[in-house]
Amino acid sequence: MLNRKIRTAAALAGVTVLTAALTACGGDDDSGGGGGAGKTLNVLIGANTQFPEQFAAWQKSISDKFKAATGATVKFETFASANDELTKIQTSVVSGSGPDVYAVGTTFTPTAYSTGAFVKMGDDEWKKIGGKEKFNPATLGISGPDDNNQVGIPWVSRPFVMAYNTELLKAAGIAKPATTWDELTQQAKQLTKGDQYGLAIAYKDNFDPWKFAWGMSVQAGNPLVDGKTAKLQDPAVQKAFSTYFGWLATDKVVDPAAVGWTNPQALAAFAKGKTGYFLLTTTTATNSLEQGAVKGKWAFALLPTVPPGATSRPANGVEAASILSGDNLLVADYSKNKDLAFEYVKLVTDPEVQLDYYQKFGNLPANASALQSLASDQRLAPVTEAAQKSVATPFTGAWGDIQLALTNVAVQTLPDLTKGPISTAQIDTRLAAAQKSAQSALDRAK
Amino acid sequence: MTTLIRPPDKTAPKQQRRRGVTERQRPLWLLTPGGVLMILIVLIPLALALWISLIDLDQYSLRRWIEAPFIGFANYTESFSSGLLHSIWISVSFAVLSTVATVPIGIAAALVTQNAYRGRGLVRAIFLIPYVLPSFVVSTVWRTMLQPDGIVNKVLGDGSTLWLSGPRAYWTLVLVEIWAAWPFIYLMALAGLQSVDHEVHEASAVDGATWWPKLYKVILPYLRGPVLLACLLATLNHINNFTLPFVLFGAPAPDNVNVMPMLVYVTSFQSLRFGLSAAMAVVSLILVAIPLFIYLRAVRLDVHDEGGRR
Repeated sequence: MLNRKIRTAAALAGVTVLTAALTACGGDDDSGGGGGAGKTLNVLIGANTQFPEQFAAWQKSISDKFKAATGATVKFETFASANDELTKIQTSVVSGSGPDVYAVGTTFTPTAYSTGAFVKMGDDEWKKIGGKEKFNPATLGISGPDDNNQVGIPWVSRPFVMAYNTELLKAAGIAKPATTWDELTQQAKQLTKGDQYGLAIAYKDNFDPWKFAWGMSVQAGNPLVDGKTAKLQDPAVQKAFSTYFGWLATDKVVDPAAVGWTNPQALAAFAKGKTGYFLLTTTTATNSLEQGAVKGKWAFALLPTVPPGATSRPANGVEAASILSGDNLLVADYSKNKDLAFEYVKLVTDPEVQLDYYQKFGNLPANASALQSLASDQRLAPVTEAAQKSVATPFTGAWGDIQLALTNVAVQTLPDLTKGPISTAQIDTRLAAAQKSAQSALDRAK
Repeated sequence: MTTLIRPPDKTAPKQQRRRGVTERQRPLWLLTPGGVLMILIVLIPLALALWISLIDLDQYSLRRWIEAPFIGFANYTESFSSGLLHSIWISVSFAVLSTVATVPIGIAAALVTQNAYRGRGLVRAIFLIPYVLPSFVVSTVWRTMLQPDGIVNKVLGDGSTLWLSGPRAYWTLVLVEIWAAWPFIYLMALAGLQSVDHEVHEASAVDGATWWPKLYKVILPYLRGPVLLACLLATLNHINNFTLPFVLFGAPAPDNVNVMPMLVYVTSFQSLRFGLSAAMAVVSLILVAIPLFIYLRAVRLDVHDEGGRR
């Protein structure tokens, strides 16, 4: 008898522990009364490792402004990497609770969209944040698959440009930066001598390689995805990769150490003042450049928009100066504070806040009038132009896999780059593998 | 210590009777807290992983994951065509190589710090440095040193050796793992050495044993249990090490260092194929568990049976 009692007690205790644990997992949704007072809005945002103190101060000032306007508090939660963010989104999607507003990278927006966990922006929603027309039209390019199904609200843009060393170019007798890829290769050869190199490229970066491949291909008229078909095994992509690898393997206009460089390392190499061009950078690099040996001797320029092997863009080619790059804001569908969330989005996309954010962190405004007010800045002109000439990468849930497959082509080819020219057959084998995984990702896309 | 053997013998019949009673009425409920935790932390997630490996769970079905379509063993067949066997081979070979290489280093280090001498504490502390450094720090530092224009190539006077991609990447992984993991074997071996009875040293001295026979025939048998256990734990740790390859090589990793945790990670968190990656994890669990089981049976890791102590 005693035994049975004990067993019952044990079972009860077990169930209680289990319930307690499960409740603890459930999160804490505190829904307050009317108005914003007493409510808390949770915002997930990328940590700023470059300027952590300024970033904390910015969060504080936004919190204060939001409190003054709505009575509610903003609680910022930061993530260190894209992967952290993804994990957070996954757990929030599964459990149906978590941050109310997410700041996500543009290329991640299609993946986020495919989870169906974010508010689709209708006329009402756009009105709540001050209207769709307040944004630079190009930035809306990756908000959703079409105009009626948009989830991403443009927040900041970081269009890609190249930086060049004005003194080295002048010394080499180059009047103005290249506008075609072939011209760039030519100039890079002129610039390479002794310990000086034509280009700084981050071959080992986990994201850079696919941006080159996509950009050159789309300029040649192949956007890589055609409906449900992947078009990676294609002469345009082949040419893109052979140009990209060729700079190091054939033309030898890049420091051989670049096979180990990530983007910040390539930036550091360029900042030493011994390199003509640094391809694929953006305004956030300004401070590092101003602190390096190139201080006062550099300028931004638009990346070439004529595909390699051509002197003018083909008829179906797109003038893509950059991928549509930056951050979008997403409002969670499960959020109990949607109105507050839109208030927040409105606040941070207003010109004043956008300009302040640009001045602190170098991210360009997505707000059209704020962007316009920067047009007078000479140094910035190429970047604002790139912002307007940015083209969205294909909007499909499979994009993550496609960019992974393209990056993998570079990763697996790296060891051969220092050995000499890369053959067409080599690239083709790797592209075939990439095509296979891209196509299977597209087949699964819903 | 040895005199303690007798008293338990005397009370043996009494103990026998008590054990008989407790065997019928063992207070099993005392296991409840541990049992509940085991269920919550191990069994439920394992069952979930098994279930997820049978459904088509990806970014499209994540939101309503309970309704994700059941696809039987399709994830398993796909995992074999997605390079899983290649990754398992790399993981296992890397883990075994690292363990085999760290054992002599660990034992040698333990022997060196066994006898007291001036500064022994300092040496012991230094030996533990690789073990206390977070894996992330270790791999970041090595990554920096092994850059094409990094310090290692500068010292070797060769600017073109690639350590982090190409054929050497695998050996880089093994080397850095050895550097970071040997103190674990060292600690276990040291613990084993500490438990060698003083009399044993005296007896071998009386018998006039020189250092090598003494080490080989007397001391090392004492270490067999702890070191075999350390080998097992270390191998499992190597197989499970994600931070090191992730920080050293980034994702996607070069093919020849695409170890199992990296493959599962990329499948899960970059391709968002949760079902497929769960299947991969289950297959690897089974493939690793079989030799593990055989190993456990073969070496019988009951430390207290070893060396005739107590």
